[in-house]
Amino acid sequence: MTGSRHYFGNLAKFGIGVGALLLAISFAVNAQEIKPDAAAALAAWDRIVGVLGHPRCLNCHQDRIPLQGDMRRVHIPLVVRGPDNHGVGPMRCANCHNGSGNNETSGAPGGGGSGVWQLAPPSMLWQGLSSADLCRSLRDTARNGGRDGTALVGHVDIEPLVLWGWNPGGDRTAVPMPHDEFVDQVKTWVAGSMACPG
Amino acid sequence: MVSLNVNGRDVDLEVSPKMPLLWALRDLVGLTGTKYGCGRALCGACTVHIDGQAARSCSIMVGDAVGKKITTIEAVSGPVADAVKSAWQKLDVVQCGYCQSGQIMSAITLLSGNKTPSNEDIDLGMEGNICRCGTYQRIRAAIHEAARALG
Repeated sequence: MTGSRHYFGNLAKFGIGVGALLLAISFAVNAQEIKPDAAAALAAWDRIVGVLGHPRCLNCHQDRIPLQGDMRRVHIPLVVRGPDNHGVGPMRCANCHNGSGNNETSGAPGGGGSGVWQLAPPSMLWQGLSSADLCRSLRDTARNGGRDGTALVGHVDIEPLVLWGWNPGGDRTAVPMPHDEFVDQVKTWVAGSMACPG
Repeated sequence: MVSLNVNGRDVDLEVSPKMPLLWALRDLVGLTGTKYGCGRALCGACTVHIDGQAARSCSIMVGDAVGKKITTIEAVSGPVADAVKSAWQKLDVVQCGYCQSGQIMSAITLLSGNKTPSNEDIDLGMEGNICRCGTYQRIRAAIHEAARALG
């Protein structure tokens, strides 16, 4: 047969083509081992961590003494956590950080309601944590006030002291990401099983 | 119209609810024992009691003091207040006197919550009250003296 050489040649080419296609498919399947929602969660976390490190948040997620202002200096006058996170004696947080807010000339921020102003509990210390450690801290129910994903979203959505960060008054810079966008990022992160960087 | 309870009396004031309480107390109610030092909750000269707790009247708005018990230096009373005032007199704490209403109001709050304050408790509790004459040693001694008297 005059075409037999061509037939086997074409068969070989066909075989190689199929083989190459199968190889390509197997690579594509391996690339999808990181599920899309976990990848999205990691990307969301990168944006969330920027907000958590903003002075309006980090200034009160401290060990014993809050920081103050965009320059993050030690609070003046000196105030300390105290046994219930609300300060000590005549220097309780709410004594100057009035729950209904202060008059504008005062410069002392307030709001959020009666008795709200406080240091975040010691388990929520954020100062000095890496992005990965902060991520793990936030999803650890032993440290985050027993909050599951839904509760975490609720916390950033409606907690008065959190919301204050977007409306701090005076010359304090607000958190730069719009609040509803931040809530969406937290929802994405929660939906991706709160994936944390390595 | 804002209605305040000041030293046990109800007073009605035709003011904006955003007026700082200090202004209302000094200019309208006529209680000038509480002083203006900084207007920014940094010096403590304006300290009054609101529902028994020390508060900076320069920062709190009149509207937010409605429905609460406001007590100024002129009328603060009770065993802790008496002990503090006696100690202040006994140890001759006062120099120019400008900061002292605030110092006394804060000291009363401190001792009301802690009858045996350590030096560190006193440091942290009185942090918000500044004295330009520097009577701090006598303030500290008077607080210890008042604590002793309270037993």
